[in-house]
Amino acid sequence: MVERRLPRTVGTVAVLLFAAPLAVLVVQAFAEVWRYPALLPQRWGLRGFEVAFEGDQALQATLDSFEVALISTAAAILLAWPAARALARGPARLRTAAIVFLALPLLVPPLATGTGLAEWFIRLGLADTRVGVALAHLTVVLPYVLLVLIPGFNPRLRELEEMAASLGMGPVRRLVSVTLPGIRAVLAAAALLGFLVSWSQYGSSLAVGGGLPMLPLTLLPFVGSDPNVAAALSLLFLAPAVLALLLASRAAREAL
Amino acid sequence: MRSLVASIALAVVLAGCGTATSSAPSPTASNWSQVLAEAKGQTVNWWLYGGDAATNAFVEDYVAPAAAKLGVTVKRVPVSDTVDAVDRVVAERRAGETSGGAVDLIWINGENFVEGKEAGLWLRNWAQKLPNSRYVDWSSPIINRDFQVPVEGQESPWQGAAFIYGYDSAAVASPPRSFPALLAWAKAHPGRFTYPAPPDFTGAAFVRQVIQRLGGVAKGLRFLRELKPYQFEGGTQFPTSIDELDQLFANGQVDFDMSYNASFLNLGVKKGEFPPTVRPFLIGGALENTSYVTIPADAAHVAGAEVVANLLLDPRLQAKMADPAVLGTPSVLDPARLPAARAAALRGAASRSPYLLTDLGRPLGELPATRDVPIEEAWKREVLR
Amino acid sequence: MRSAAATARGATRRVPPDLLRLAPALLVTTLLFGGALLGALKQSVEPPLGGGPSTWSLASWRAVFADPTFLDALWFSIRLAVISSLAAALIALVLATLLRSRGPALKTTFSLPVTVPHLIVAVLAVAWLAPGGIAERALGSLPIGVVHAQSGLGIVLVYVYKETPFLVLLLLSVMGRTLRRREEASAVLGASPSQVLRWVVWPAVRRPLAVGSMIVGAFVLGAFEVPLVLGPNYPPTLATYAYQATQTSPLSGQGKAAASLLVAAAAAIALGLAALALARTEDG
Repeated sequence: MVERRLPRTVGTVAVLLFAAPLAVLVVQAFAEVWRYPALLPQRWGLRGFEVAFEGDQALQATLDSFEVALISTAAAILLAWPAARALARGPARLRTAAIVFLALPLLVPPLATGTGLAEWFIRLGLADTRVGVALAHLTVVLPYVLLVLIPGFNPRLRELEEMAASLGMGPVRRLVSVTLPGIRAVLAAAALLGFLVSWSQYGSSLAVGGGLPMLPLTLLPFVGSDPNVAAALSLLFLAPAVLALLLASRAAREAL
Repeated sequence: MRSLVASIALAVVLAGCGTATSSAPSPTASNWSQVLAEAKGQTVNWWLYGGDAATNAFVEDYVAPAAAKLGVTVKRVPVSDTVDAVDRVVAERRAGETSGGAVDLIWINGENFVEGKEAGLWLRNWAQKLPNSRYVDWSSPIINRDFQVPVEGQESPWQGAAFIYGYDSAAVASPPRSFPALLAWAKAHPGRFTYPAPPDFTGAAFVRQVIQRLGGVAKGLRFLRELKPYQFEGGTQFPTSIDELDQLFANGQVDFDMSYNASFLNLGVKKGEFPPTVRPFLIGGALENTSYVTIPADAAHVAGAEVVANLLLDPRLQAKMADPAVLGTPSVLDPARLPAARAAALRGAASRSPYLLTDLGRPLGELPATRDVPIEEAWKREVLR
Repeated sequence: MRSAAATARGATRRVPPDLLRLAPALLVTTLLFGGALLGALKQSVEPPLGGGPSTWSLASWRAVFADPTFLDALWFSIRLAVISSLAAALIALVLATLLRSRGPALKTTFSLPVTVPHLIVAVLAVAWLAPGGIAERALGSLPIGVVHAQSGLGIVLVYVYKETPFLVLLLLSVMGRTLRRREEASAVLGASPSQVLRWVVWPAVRRPLAVGSMIVGAFVLGAFEVPLVLGPNYPPTLATYAYQATQTSPLSGQGKAAASLLVAAAAAIALGLAALALARTEDG
């Protein structure tokens, strides 16, 4: 009995340890005065939000970030889908080489790739647009989406697809009624991760975006200089992330 | 054959870049009414530090509406560091762009301006042609030189800056007003003083002030070495940014704070960061310099940017800026050049707040920008380690 | 969608070479990532705008490798990367074992930090760990120095906090029902728990764990925001070294900054390949 309960407690404690730190953001977002050594704010208020939303920049930035994240995630899925299918089988040596190459952008500091791209994008006239920024984000979004997607195309799914084909199912029906349901959970996870990676990019967003309002760019200057405003913007910054996570986990659960 | 054509094309392109760099850009219109006409309908992308709520509000509430009356839209591009704006202009230059750039106006001074000027990034010879520039005393070395480098009309002033210190009058009766007194004070109260580690902008300015006041790099660094063991945490660690020092001061963990923003206590009290009992003081005369705006040579909306730069020197906007209820930073206008009533309003602004100093003492000009890096290296070598 | 349907259709008729399916992704990666690297490389060798040498040169690279601060930054970054990824991997392994049989609600709560951008993790780290932060207010004082600790403890703690859930999610994705069935089967065949662990569980989790830790290590090698607020005054990490280079000399420092970021990139790639090789040799 004790043996069974122990891991349970440890697991719960670990969860609290990981989730609780986020709660401080909520407190800080509403804390107008919160000076040492008080454990709770001396004065609560909405100043953080008022400053954050001054002159509708934050709103525009949220919309821009959302659009850019959607575009780059969609593009990444379209590119990664056939690639993941190919990488889920085939000769091991070639497979590893391709995966390593495609995953390289993950390993390189975003600071290095962001400024490196800016000059080319300006030359090509791609800078300063949401599509241009989405393309710059694709550099890192694609490898994430791909890595998550690969295990989705496992032998079991392939068997099911072949079975459906031998039963005379057309390609569209096969996709809708066999492939998509089979890969749904993995696809949801890939889309979520891709969205979040784009959502939180800022190095390339500034260099390539040329002043296009983006949420991380609005938040960054307040980090450190104004914790109250930074926390209010952070909540806005986190909201779609948490929402997307909840949706993805629901999609994943239904698929099981 | 094809490679020959390609290399000729390349040579042409390269030549094009060359002329773009060497030809001196000048204002698009010499006549102000022409500038105003051209500016109408333009959207000016003003890249400026975005972490100060009061400055953001000043731009949104006063500058933008005034510009809107002239048909110019001000779009604030918030950056966490001015170098981000400079990087973008550099990328455009590297890409061979000579017009249509994404940066129209930058809040700038010091190293960023100086290196950009050397590289020919800025529009030349425009600042002194702004109509409101007549209220500025261009003969003052604090205005016509930026870190000892001649401005030459490539940037226009908009905010005065003075290096001041803060203490909490509820905790400290009388702060030290000279560096020897600061050392004595630190020895009597170990662990209650620190400064941000250079290359943080404020920390570097503190080190430069020490060096200037004590008469040389060697003497300055010797003083800082002597001070170190009496600093916060025994000098084993320095705050890495001014934000961190502000936090330590707000927490009451150290007794003094410092800033190049002469209104930092005023703004800090307003946003609830500091207790209302904080007060400003000087150690010797204040280091002084000026915040400017510059226009990149390849800016897309030069006329609009000039209109905004001119507005920033408007006596009414400058009075708003100097008003402690708005920003409280020193005006760059010369009261002697203003109508008496306006001059009095500017002069009296600081006296309306207990968080501002009316007298900044004998001002101390900045060291040449070229000395920054050697000083920071020496500090790292001899003080930090 | 269209390309997916097209691929599915192709599969029935004649399996097209996998290279064709890989081509778009390979092309885009080559263009974007290659372009970015090339851009950084160009920055590190081209003449600075205004003043200085007017031809392409290796001056920035020489300057960087002659700078003792840079070398200290390099070793410091590598050390942080190895320690953080090993610690995260170890904790993730334990947690995944504990969590695999728990409900989805708990797993969702646990994966929250995955969704938190690094920027916000830095905000949180300051709120909790800075002098006068929540931790100090609650406990009176911290038992160990975290902020600016010479050891880089603050950086390691934050990255372990941020990346462990990511590794746990990776592990949980391979510790599903299939693995459970194989474990039960081996137990039925008489394998001891430790044998099940070594022969069934470990081979299944080893590869995702290696890939995951490699990504974590790479993150830390390029770490910027977190070391900036929590790292020691000296040495910097490679990314903060780059940042400081442009902070004092916005234009003339760009070459040095690019060079040091490229070194970080190279170190990350080397670390990644090493982890991958390690995962494979254990296979045989």
